[in-house]
Amino acid sequence: MSSVKERADLALNNDFLRKAVRFTTERLRDGKRKAADDHGNWEEWRERGRQIRLHTIAHLDYYLDRFAEQARANGAHVHFASTGAEAVQIALEVAARKEAHTVVKSKSMVSEELHINRALEEAGVEAVETDLGEYIIQLAGEAPSHIIIPAIHKNRYQIAQLLSREAGEELPPETSVLAGFVRRKLRAKFLEADIGMTGCNFAIAETGSIVLFENEGNARMVSTVPKTQITFMGMERIIPSWSDLEVMATLLPRSATGQKLTVYMSGITGPRRTADGDGPEEMHIIILDNGRSEQLGDPEFQELLNCIRCGACLNACPVYRHIGGHAYGGTYSGPIGAVLTPALNKNVAEWDDIASASSLCGACYEACPVKIPLHDMLVYLRRRKVEQGYGNKLETAGMKGFAAVTSNSKRFHRALKAGRVLQRVVVRNGEISARIGPLKGWNRYRVAPSLANQPFRERWDTLQHELRASVAQTVTGAAAQERMKAALHKRAARPIDRKEGHSYDE
Amino acid sequence: MMNNEYNDWLKTKEAEARKKQEQFMDRIAGKLKRSRLREAPEHPFRGAPMYWRELEWSLEERLARFEDNFTAAGGHVARPADLEAAKTYIMAKAQALGARYILRQDDPTLAELGLDEALAATGAKVSVWNGHRSEAWIARAAEADFGIVTADHAVAYTGSLVVQSAAEKGRSVSLLPTTLFAIVPVERLITRLGEVLQTFDAAGREALPAGIHFISGPSRSADIENDLTIGVHGPGIVFALLVG
Amino acid sequence: MELLNKADMGTTGTGMKVSMFVTCIGDAVYPRIAEAMARLLARVGVKLEFPQGQTCCGQPAFNSGYWAEARRSATTLLEAFADSDFVIGPSGSCIGMIHHYPKLFEQDPVRLAMAEDLKAKSYEFTQFLVQVLGVSDLGAVFPHKVTYHPSCHGSRLLGIREEPMTLLHNVKGMELVPLPFAEDCCGFGGTFAVKMADISGAMVTEKADHVLDTSAEVLTGLDMACLMNIAGQLRHRRQPVRVMHLAELLYEGVSGA
Repeated sequence: MSSVKERADLALNNDFLRKAVRFTTERLRDGKRKAADDHGNWEEWRERGRQIRLHTIAHLDYYLDRFAEQARANGAHVHFASTGAEAVQIALEVAARKEAHTVVKSKSMVSEELHINRALEEAGVEAVETDLGEYIIQLAGEAPSHIIIPAIHKNRYQIAQLLSREAGEELPPETSVLAGFVRRKLRAKFLEADIGMTGCNFAIAETGSIVLFENEGNARMVSTVPKTQITFMGMERIIPSWSDLEVMATLLPRSATGQKLTVYMSGITGPRRTADGDGPEEMHIIILDNGRSEQLGDPEFQELLNCIRCGACLNACPVYRHIGGHAYGGTYSGPIGAVLTPALNKNVAEWDDIASASSLCGACYEACPVKIPLHDMLVYLRRRKVEQGYGNKLETAGMKGFAAVTSNSKRFHRALKAGRVLQRVVVRNGEISARIGPLKGWNRYRVAPSLANQPFRERWDTLQHELRASVAQTVTGAAAQERMKAALHKRAARPIDRKEGHSYDE
Repeated sequence: MMNNEYNDWLKTKEAEARKKQEQFMDRIAGKLKRSRLREAPEHPFRGAPMYWRELEWSLEERLARFEDNFTAAGGHVARPADLEAAKTYIMAKAQALGARYILRQDDPTLAELGLDEALAATGAKVSVWNGHRSEAWIARAAEADFGIVTADHAVAYTGSLVVQSAAEKGRSVSLLPTTLFAIVPVERLITRLGEVLQTFDAAGREALPAGIHFISGPSRSADIENDLTIGVHGPGIVFALLVG
Repeated sequence: MELLNKADMGTTGTGMKVSMFVTCIGDAVYPRIAEAMARLLARVGVKLEFPQGQTCCGQPAFNSGYWAEARRSATTLLEAFADSDFVIGPSGSCIGMIHHYPKLFEQDPVRLAMAEDLKAKSYEFTQFLVQVLGVSDLGAVFPHKVTYHPSCHGSRLLGIREEPMTLLHNVKGMELVPLPFAEDCCGFGGTFAVKMADISGAMVTEKADHVLDTSAEVLTGLDMACLMNIAGQLRHRRQPVRVMHLAELLYEGVSGA
């Protein structure tokens, strides 16, 4: 398998891709910001969303069990799958029993985890993605590169080419023409399909309902027209009640696209009622673990299960903007993918690969509607890799050297002196531009500064005498003392915050 | 016979699933380092922040905000004074858009509208959802130029129509036709999403219909170069008629 | 309650111990920035100490996952500042690292207590000036066109947004121009810049583009690591934009240099 570095290099050399990703993520990011500001009290809503998710996950056995029982009472068939392979197996069995020829799918990240399309095709069942973006990348034989905008990396000319091949005629690269073709083509598919497959944005424990958010109407088609519906659902998608849905419906669309609500929000409670004229006659809900339960009880990663898959962290991430989604090499991309992929897979050998592709700037945390500290989690992943002995050998040696030097101020000082001598070979006008040693990558884009002729610790004695003379008798001195004293009192009165998880809000 | 075999298979799957379900719950409890939770836990953070629940706009403001939001999403809003005016509006649109086939829900408000006869006089055909049980109603809906529904609720803050499914109220009617008309009696227009959502909690599982749909404008997609296109799968033209 | 006693000591005239944490880069590469900070604090009446035992906050090792190594560096700070009342550093990122210490030392009860204590008393330079001392105008004059880059750790994780703005707005004669996409990371990220050199390079190139778009003469900020990164790229492109830590800018502004 290629490394994130090699995949990123491909992206960095693809000017169109970078422009397209930058253009779209910037629009989404601005839209989100405006929507959050317009709504107001965003921090309070984020905290509310986080609390609801924390509460649900902390009591997941109760809520998931309740959901399953209620969904059964609605007439749905509920299945549980520990692994992706098990989920695929159940879906294939249903398809075989139904003698299905065609399956229409609405967008579902869980189904991407399962690679269900490939499995269906191998079983001789045609699987058709019906979200416009998903349909495009299915025709291209690719994976989505963004949670919300799967074909973010394709331009209209590439799309026109793909759709022309499908149409058997030359289609112009005009959005309305291309979308019109897809509407006609997929309308026929909806009407002939035997099975509709959906994902699940939220599952409501109290009533056994599933909730889908979308803009195109294809998820409604998939859950209205075919006689059988199969819904894939991550085991953590639960919320307790419809009242809680108000918070999620406030956070999700605003964070994803800046909309007040997606065009369609559908609550589906079981298969069609006996006298209904449409809706599926039979409904299967496949609840998937696939590594999710590994996060439970792990204080560093449990909050990962709070994710509502809005994609806001991708749009905020400066690394994602430059390398796009495919460079992450997994089903999920961007900051959430960089943490989720290794966390779900427990694949130590590949951890560092993706987790290293972050400057830890925290834009993801700031954008996250349920405040998942992804930037901290990336560091935890890196630490676990090192602890388990999978650290890069050169880096490990370097870090041991770093610790040896910085664990003692005298050694640190001696190292500075030595460095000053050694750098003479490469310093020109106070700068180093030679691409040598660890500066090889750095100096491809920058020059490096040299070590100062006299470090601060050597300057201090002189400076201190100079400063002492001026400070003691000034009037501001007394004022400063008073202010500092007040700060000390305030600090002493504040209990030390030792609550679980992270806390930056002080 | 095939059916029996199938039902037996379903029963086998259910037995397997229930076993697996126990394993899932035990594993969750084990991972969380506690015993299985059998009773509903106290949920102190249920629903929207407290301040939000107090928001309630006057009818005039609800009407204005709904119109702003629905229009901003690409929908059309009209405010006919009564059903007669609504009928006139729809008739005019049917003529302007050349609608040949119209499908409506089987609902007393829409029956009262008297569209069926009036449109028939212009040569267009009107069908009523689920009128004859043998009819392929989904296919009929897919052929329809207009779908006409009565909204069960509308939400001003998000600019959303809410339609709930029933035998007389097919989900297809608001989804498959090219153009959607929703009649909204103004007393059904509320301020916040939560006002509708909490009624589902209050009603309870057994009272819920199979499909509850919030519709906030025409079907749209920005999947091609982030270029907005309307009507990609669902209706591309949506009218909300706020009546009263 | 030990802290309260210390506060009382202040009233008796023994004074409080205010320590400089100059950071390893400040010590080794940019002593002029640490010096500017010291001189500004002295001007507003703060008597400073410089505990020689300090080295580095340990962030390079911590962020790369080498926590055992990070603890060894971090311990020098825990010990150097054990009896300080205030610890002031010219870097949001290094002060932010101190906020990770309770997590870093969670298995070590003795050092955990020291870590909590250090976290509570550590301040980024502008945070200390504005929040603690209540100083928002140093009387600086700086007749140049300036733009400001808010570094990620200071602004996002410590919430330092208003403080530098307040100080900058009170500088006389200065034209402050907003930096487009200011909140975007410059791409430094410590070892990220070495390990993922090309991604980091793309990020800093974009950041420098935005700086040049402002046509500012001076770029300022609160983190010398980020400034070193952006300055390095600007110099690489032979662009004459002057890159200054805010402490340097303010000190130059008050000393009329």
